[in-house]
Amino acid sequence: MGQIFAIAQTTLGEAIRRRVLLIILLIGLAFLIISPSLNQLTPRGQTEVLVKMTLGILKITSAILAVTLTVYLIPNEVERRTIYTILSKPVQRYQFLVGKFLGSVGALAVMIGLMTLVLLVTFSLQQRDASMDDVARIVKSAVMYVFQMSLLAGIAMLFSTIVTPIVNFFMTGMVFVFGTLMNPIFESLGASSGGGLAGLGSRVAHYALPNFTNVDITGGATQAEQAVGGSEAVYMMNGIIYAIIYTSIMLVLAVLIFDRREI
Amino acid sequence: MGVAIKTEDLTKTYRTRSGKVNVVDHLNLEVEEGEIFGFLGPNGAGKTTTIKMLLGISYPSEGTAWVLGKEIGDTDVHRRLSYLPEKPYYYEHMTGLEILRFYARLFNIKEPERTKKAEALLEKVNLAGDADKIIAQYSRGMQQRIGLAQSLLNDPVLLFLDEPTAGLDPIAHIEIRDLILKMRDEGKTVFISSHELSDVERICDRVTILNYGKVVSEGRLDTLLKGGRIEITAVNVPKGIEDNLRSDGVIASFHDGRLIIDAPDTIATDGFVDAVRSAGGTIVSIIPRRKRLEDLFIESVGGRRVLTEQTEQSEESV
Repeated sequence: MGQIFAIAQTTLGEAIRRRVLLIILLIGLAFLIISPSLNQLTPRGQTEVLVKMTLGILKITSAILAVTLTVYLIPNEVERRTIYTILSKPVQRYQFLVGKFLGSVGALAVMIGLMTLVLLVTFSLQQRDASMDDVARIVKSAVMYVFQMSLLAGIAMLFSTIVTPIVNFFMTGMVFVFGTLMNPIFESLGASSGGGLAGLGSRVAHYALPNFTNVDITGGATQAEQAVGGSEAVYMMNGIIYAIIYTSIMLVLAVLIFDRREI
Repeated sequence: MGVAIKTEDLTKTYRTRSGKVNVVDHLNLEVEEGEIFGFLGPNGAGKTTTIKMLLGISYPSEGTAWVLGKEIGDTDVHRRLSYLPEKPYYYEHMTGLEILRFYARLFNIKEPERTKKAEALLEKVNLAGDADKIIAQYSRGMQQRIGLAQSLLNDPVLLFLDEPTAGLDPIAHIEIRDLILKMRDEGKTVFISSHELSDVERICDRVTILNYGKVVSEGRLDTLLKGGRIEITAVNVPKGIEDNLRSDGVIASFHDGRLIIDAPDTIATDGFVDAVRSAGGTIVSIIPRRKRLEDLFIESVGGRRVLTEQTEQSEESV
């Protein structure tokens, strides 16, 4: 475990200093800061719209950060030959991969945390009529985004053992877009195909592909009640368990491929 | 003395557009404990690939090898060995001290021993004054020295050094060379891959020269470099005498009016001296020339086209 944490800590340290990530983060922060002031242009009582919009910005920025950070994680180590020095120590390939993954998740958590903090401060300064429920929803959503982005990082990690960073960037991006729009797509597919073979196929694909809406609370309590017919806490817990299981599967596959790969 | 490294038909094959290429071709070698072993060859000869296979970073296509008595692939043996890669790169945001502490963590070395060891090694490689500078501020020589320090963290019994003196200034060059000699005095086995033939000649006990992945020359340096040459220069010698002096292995020719005789040192020089004098010539100099590793290297690989390292890297492993 010591080796994994050492690699994770170094990865985190390096990630939070990467210029390209800091630029993306700054752009995201700028959007988050200016977005509450846009509410002045809309009618009163539109806090709901504003919360959704800012959470959308937070989510998109986090996703761009997650993909940009993870696609280069392993290729950079090989190109710079740092991996050779590390693997010549008593470090197994799986320890290296898991360490890199945990480090990137740590960096994402730090960045999402920072954006959430800025969003909350901006919100409290500009939206004095915002309720505690709105604040809680932002915090809960941010927590869920960390798990969502971990899942996205796991997928990018798996692809990085097979394809080049550029291809990985597009593949992971497509998976994210598809996984985010999955529910409406499959709902319409299910409705049109009924219960036949096409319906079965769409249900299998629905469960096999990563569904990011399972790990999303942006819709609030109503969404939770509709989804599981229970409390928001249960919905969140289900989402977190789903993300952890799916991410673990991605990592196991990545380790199996990376273990046999020539570096 | 035991065997530190043994390879048996170790082969690495890459698939290229023109077919399969054995970058390392049925390599058989043995490195004894406590010796400095030079692993030489032109670019693309298969040196780095061999080291990577011995470290378990790359997988052999055929054959196998044993390092410190364990078959390759056993990462537990990495506790007793270390590796300094060619042109190493270290995380630039970390300081010299931090980088050594990071590598020490990979060996599960706990605090306060971790910091104590890192500081002692920084002292050993003359970087104590730069311990708190970030790696991005280190010169090439300093980075090479921090690389050597990280390779000594676990007090290894076997060191793999890939081009340890490449790109260093003369002072840093000598320092690293002395450090390597000190390691042998401490009983460590050092496996050096290098293009710096003068260094290898000074410090190695045995060498293997590789070309196209195959061993083309190997043995103890003192045996391989036996048989130097002797160069005799004479003036006022009439033309035509050189034809009488030439024989097997003896080259005699005129340059700028001077007769130069280049002969193996096993031939007595008296006969040449007498022949020159009796023809009215004067001997200007007799210079014995020891065979150099460079001569042996050129003899061994000379005239053979080699693959470039880039080609080797870009091919697909089989």
